Amino acid sequence: MGSWQQHLPILPVVLPLLTGALLLLISETRHRLRATIALLATLAQLLLALTLLAMTDAHLPAPWRGEIAVYSLGNWAAPFGIVLVADRLAAIMLTLTATLGSAALIYSLARWERAGVHYLPLFQFLLMGLNGAFLTGDLFNLFVFFEVLLAASYGLALHGSGVARVKAGLHYIAVNLVASLLFLVAAALIYGVTGTLNMAELALRVQALSPDDRTLFDIGAALLGVVFLVKAGAWPLNFWLPATYAAASAPVAGVFAILTKVGIYALLRFETLLHATGSPAPFGGEWLFYCGLATIAIGSLGILATQRLERLAGFLVIVSSGTLLAAIGFRGTALTGPALFYLVSSVLGSGAFFMVVEMVQRNRAYAADLLAISFEAFGLQDPASDTEHPDETVGLPIPGAMAFLGLTFVSCALLLTGLPPLSGFVAKFSLLAAAIAEAPGGNPLPSWLLVAALLLSGLAGIISLSRLGVRVFWSGERSTPRLLWVEAGPVAGLIALCAILALGAGPATDYFRVTAESLHNPAAYINAVLPADAGGTGE
Amino acid sequence: MSLLLILLLPFVGSLCAAFLPSNARNAEAWLAGMVALAAAALVASLYPQVAAEGVIRTTIPWAPGLGLDFSLRMDGYAWLFAMLVTVMGALVVVYARYYMSPDDPVPRFFSFFLAFMGAMLGVVLSGNLLQIAMFWELTSLASFMLIAYWHHRVDARRGARMALIVTGTGGLALLGGMLLLGHMAGSYDLDAVLAAADTIQNHPWYPLTLILIVLGALTKSAQFPFHFWLPHAMAAPTPVSAFLHSATMVKAGVFLLARFWPVLAGTDLWFWIVGGAGLCSLLIGAYLALFQQDMKGVLAYSTISHLGLITLLLGMNSPLALVAAVFHIVNHATFKASLFMAAGIVDHETGTRNMQRLSGLYRAMPITATLAVVAAAAMAGVPLLNGFLSKEMFFAETIFLDRPGWQRIGLPLAATLASMFSVAYSLRFIHQVFFGPPTDELPRAPHEPTRWMLLPSALLVLACLLVGMLPGITVGPYLQAATDSILGSDAPSYSLAVWHGLNLPLLMSAAAFIGGVALYRAFLWRTGTEVPLLERIDGKRTFDWLQTTLMSGAEQAMRWLFSPRLQMQLLVLVLVALGGALLPLLNTGSSWGTRETTPLHPAFALLWVVGAACALAAAWQAKHHRFAALILSGGAGLATSLTFVWFSAPDLALTQLTVEVVTAVLILLGLRWLPRREARFTQGRPETARVRLRRLRDLLIAAAGGLGLAALAYAILTRPDIDGISPFFIAQSLPQGGGLNVVNVILVDFRGFDTLGEITVLAVVALTVFALLRRFRPAPESIPLPRQQREQNAADGIEETRVPDPDAKLPDGYLMLPAVLVRLLLPLAMLVSLFFLLRGHNAPGGGFVGGLVLATAIILQYLVGGTVWVESRLRIHPMVWIALGLLSAASAGAGAWLYGYPFLTSLAWHGELPLLGELHLSSVLLFDLGVYMLVVGATVLMLVVIAHQSLRRHHRRAGIGGGT
Amino acid sequence: MEIVFALAIGVMAGSGVWLLLRPRTFQVIIGLSLLAYAVNLFIFGMGRLRVGAVPVIDPLKGSNPDLYTDPVPQALVLTAIVIGFATTALFLVVLLASRGLNGTDHVDGQETEKE
Repeated sequence: MGSWQQHLPILPVVLPLLTGALLLLISETRHRLRATIALLATLAQLLLALTLLAMTDAHLPAPWRGEIAVYSLGNWAAPFGIVLVADRLAAIMLTLTATLGSAALIYSLARWERAGVHYLPLFQFLLMGLNGAFLTGDLFNLFVFFEVLLAASYGLALHGSGVARVKAGLHYIAVNLVASLLFLVAAALIYGVTGTLNMAELALRVQALSPDDRTLFDIGAALLGVVFLVKAGAWPLNFWLPATYAAASAPVAGVFAILTKVGIYALLRFETLLHATGSPAPFGGEWLFYCGLATIAIGSLGILATQRLERLAGFLVIVSSGTLLAAIGFRGTALTGPALFYLVSSVLGSGAFFMVVEMVQRNRAYAADLLAISFEAFGLQDPASDTEHPDETVGLPIPGAMAFLGLTFVSCALLLTGLPPLSGFVAKFSLLAAAIAEAPGGNPLPSWLLVAALLLSGLAGIISLSRLGVRVFWSGERSTPRLLWVEAGPVAGLIALCAILALGAGPATDYFRVTAESLHNPAAYINAVLPADAGGTGE
Repeated sequence: MSLLLILLLPFVGSLCAAFLPSNARNAEAWLAGMVALAAAALVASLYPQVAAEGVIRTTIPWAPGLGLDFSLRMDGYAWLFAMLVTVMGALVVVYARYYMSPDDPVPRFFSFFLAFMGAMLGVVLSGNLLQIAMFWELTSLASFMLIAYWHHRVDARRGARMALIVTGTGGLALLGGMLLLGHMAGSYDLDAVLAAADTIQNHPWYPLTLILIVLGALTKSAQFPFHFWLPHAMAAPTPVSAFLHSATMVKAGVFLLARFWPVLAGTDLWFWIVGGAGLCSLLIGAYLALFQQDMKGVLAYSTISHLGLITLLLGMNSPLALVAAVFHIVNHATFKASLFMAAGIVDHETGTRNMQRLSGLYRAMPITATLAVVAAAAMAGVPLLNGFLSKEMFFAETIFLDRPGWQRIGLPLAATLASMFSVAYSLRFIHQVFFGPPTDELPRAPHEPTRWMLLPSALLVLACLLVGMLPGITVGPYLQAATDSILGSDAPSYSLAVWHGLNLPLLMSAAAFIGGVALYRAFLWRTGTEVPLLERIDGKRTFDWLQTTLMSGAEQAMRWLFSPRLQMQLLVLVLVALGGALLPLLNTGSSWGTRETTPLHPAFALLWVVGAACALAAAWQAKHHRFAALILSGGAGLATSLTFVWFSAPDLALTQLTVEVVTAVLILLGLRWLPRREARFTQGRPETARVRLRRLRDLLIAAAGGLGLAALAYAILTRPDIDGISPFFIAQSLPQGGGLNVVNVILVDFRGFDTLGEITVLAVVALTVFALLRRFRPAPESIPLPRQQREQNAADGIEETRVPDPDAKLPDGYLMLPAVLVRLLLPLAMLVSLFFLLRGHNAPGGGFVGGLVLATAIILQYLVGGTVWVESRLRIHPMVWIALGLLSAASAGAGAWLYGYPFLTSLAWHGELPLLGELHLSSVLLFDLGVYMLVVGATVLMLVVIAHQSLRRHHRRAGIGGGT
Repeated sequence: MEIVFALAIGVMAGSGVWLLLRPRTFQVIIGLSLLAYAVNLFIFGMGRLRVGAVPVIDPLKGSNPDLYTDPVPQALVLTAIVIGFATTALFLVVLLASRGLNGTDHVDGQETEKE
């Protein structure tokens, strides 16, 4: 029973829980105090996540054997008790969550936190749910944490109320409630067949199943897959997504950017766990790839069709989900590493984008926008701009605030369309390169499809973002927003991170490659959870 | 290392430029000029080394894992281009300093200007394919920003977007091409790729790669059919047009084609695609240039045509043609830039560029005119000027091209024709603007600009003359170095002489001149703007059409593929789930199990006959009779809990039952706010066939779903038990869990973590409910008391507007009697709930059930007492209960840390307590207490806030009354 | 027994699904609770059915698994019940809010031409 360090894996769950509870006891009126507590707690989580990141990569001495930390809750060994498993992937996701969370939280302190009650506790509970979902090594516990993060996300999505939010929230909640019921059925079915809930032991027991039971298990796995696809926002299960994200308040939408990735994470985790045990589970595989392509296609169509930046951002999230699904579904393991790089880059990028969009839109008449956009789109002379002397050859100075917004907007656009020089380009390029490298061995069609999808979705992004961006920044009434450091800071920070990610592409890609390799060799995971000496009830 | 410096200088400069005050024109100009000059000097200083070693390299490892290294590479060709970029840059900066109006916010201009210069240098100096693609896109972005510099102008915005989209698309294609190229060559390193020519040309991917790369080049160089963006890019300030859209950026395309010439050229595919595009651009550009009225328009189209000439040369697959192409790149840059400057000066001094309004400016601005005349002559290919030389080489190539049949004849003819056009438009450009009668209806009175504005143009013209007269000693060696670096060993020998004797090319030139002059004479007086013959082909219109169809098409598709309706989403979800479940079954079938089934008990069957009836009836009634539906679904729930009892799961039964009650109360409280089912939904419309069809569809889906789940359940139920994890729990429940009620031990100990999460969910939901209902705005028609209550009040003679009196001994109104009973009930309920809590570990019960019992008791008070009356007596602070619940549950878990055990490890303590007898106290109890408190808090909170809504009636009146 | 049990699940699930696809919020919430019942029974069924087994450990009988009902699914059901209760409550409130803000109880917040 060693040092406090051995408790590291649980802290990302307990800390936000305690913080949330504490915040409930402090009256809403004491903004400063509450904000300070919430902020400190979130930053502490970032610190924790970074420590785990370093430990799982053996940069820091870890109190546990090997690179995978296993934490048995209640001191009940797996497979009986619930275990938390912190491996590289989990650490990455935790860090991403904490980073995005901190940014969104800081941003929301400017105004959004006051738009309704209990924002800060809900935020903490959301982080708790996310961290738990990334850490847990138990199927049913995963369900519980899904519920935690969903419940919190309902609250946050509805934060500030209003017609649009309630309407979108209703759909969001209804869909996810059904998904949760499906999750229950799936988890129960899997237990009914295998008699265990521990993911590692599951991987072992699946092999021993008789064909009949195997089919039942596959059904359970398929239902589970459907649930994860709903979370990931895969077409045709993502009708709710753009409306929900567009309606949610900016920081919430920003932190939601990682919500879809929870589904991706779960898919990846189960695929790697179940695949490598020689048992083809209905995860991954062809259909997932094509589902991903369809999602990309729909997302791109949405990008082209939409006339509102908020919705555009939602569709960009869909595209990134589709890209990840396609990458995971792609045959072989070569694309996993690049996919992880892409995941990080796109989460940071879209998170920042939601906030930028809100800052830009804040003082603009949306209706006027719409009109003007259609004018521009249909190549008509825009009455709005007739008022400006069309042949004026003297430029207008752009105030600093506007310049900052423009710069961040462009940066996000570059990130999300995969244009240089930010990390988006590196991510897209490494995906493309990997896909092309896969082409010669076996059927080249998927490679070409993926390449085409990636390039074309990028093009759609360029077309739509330039259209709306030009419209928003360069025409119509120019009322300069007041820029608060609290809001500008986090956005700039996220983008800076992407720049760093691009500069450090070398070490980053190596790290993600190692992560992918360890994922595709789950023996380590399984042995860590069920050490041979302790022995699971498996096999 | 100095390579890196060359690349970094502009970017650093661009950063500094961005932060200068917006009126610091001189500082900006000095900064930019110095940067450009310094870069130029650095490049120049490298020449000896390049000439000696051939190639200079600087490599910085970036992402070796991806085969991405940041490598810079300068050979003769790159040197020539770098020189072009930097020198032109310096000249244009000087020009821009005087061109831009004092009120222009120049920091943005110069910052993007320098950024572009850096990006362009990056394209030129990159030694890595992807680096090229990267800087390539950056040039597109910079040009977008520069074209839209006057972003308040619609044409500027449109032109900028058009350029961005066209070149950006090309950039993506280029990226794809580069990836393929790199894969074929096995490395993204430029040298490696250039060395792998044979491998690449024999590779099955060669055609695709070629097409993609050429696509990138043609879009960038505004070649047919992508030429249309260039004229619209003329909305940019003239210095930008001079620098980006004549001298440098548009040259990036041909630069690339020449760069990869050794690898890609030499095949028929290359000849047809590249040569074809070049020829079309050459002719169409020149032809359209004839009819432009805007001076910059003429120059833009002539640029397209000259770039077409270069592309055509590159497409000819002959080394000499390549030499000519490179030579013409330089020449065109010099004369075209100076012409743009002239156009800018005219615009600047007279206020218009419209050639119909301009006339006879020679008298007003002789120097400008002279410079323009010389430059235009070079453009037309007049002997003794640089344009002549490269044009002659071009003619020669067209003659000696070894292609079969008509291509031999056709090409020289086309070349002559194009050259004729170019003579004509050059003539027109000069004659209409500078000669003829002087006009006085110009916006401003024309006069010579300051000599600093003339200087750059003058220098360029000087270059035209020098190169034109003494090619051998001026550009000769550099051109040699450039072409050698491309062609390597098989570089041809050629002579840059002004006079090659009386030969066919010279005759072609002569023909072109005569023809050109005649052509100009023929329509000297025409001033119409419409273009004969090619009026149809309008790139912009096609572009807009494409864009709008794309948008509307996307909208159309989304309408089909992406429904905003919840029903559709749920339908799809259910269908996908069904399909997903069906698939494995179809792949590998399954069968019922072999476990002998338990004998059927009639009572159980009866129970479920009723239960099923309830469920179906609920489904039937939910639309019109909500209350009935609620009761019926409650019936189904009751059947469920009885089933739990039947199969000896008392905990479940108990919990299900209590939850039933609370949920029912909740929904009852909510019913009041729902609209009465209006007739219009029921009778109003006759059921259309569509509706019936949809109902049938849903019915089938529902049946399928139900059967599916039933089948799954049966399949498992009939399977033998599995040796799962449960025996462990049963075995360890007492010895290690210290509890007889296994289920409860699992909940609070073995899998306590689940419970912790579960109560968090409850808490979160309660918070959300509270937050949402604080903003609740009931629909107006549901504000007044429900009919039943009103009737009741009327019967009791209570007027509708009565506000309940908090200080009354008992709640008044028709619920007085129950109120008394319920008040007596409360303490009892508390006792029961505590009892459940404490015994939970060893017998059915537990914190959750206990909490629900108490919550129910409390809400009963509300129901019968009325909110006002109750709250005047017992104040509950649900939020505190929730917080404390969470805290105590969490701390029960965290307590284990003190003893070095993992979270949630149970710490036990045995003891005697009066009344309750032997008691097994443990951290587990604290945990369960947390659950208890939280459940009480959360449930009460939810119930109370909903109950509170009924008070809005009073609030409202109070508001109106303006009191209380 | 089993067949009745399974059919019971089926009927409730079917009615639930049917209600899910209806346009009125109230129908959806009733559908959700019916579905929840079905799912609870389903989970419970995963431990197989045993009549007359002892729910609570009897120290005298010892802990032979065959004497007891499988506790794990029961624990899962309990968790499921609680979460189901919470989400039902939430959905109820949201539909109330939606009705209040949009003036209709249609799931899309506005009356569509259909139904």
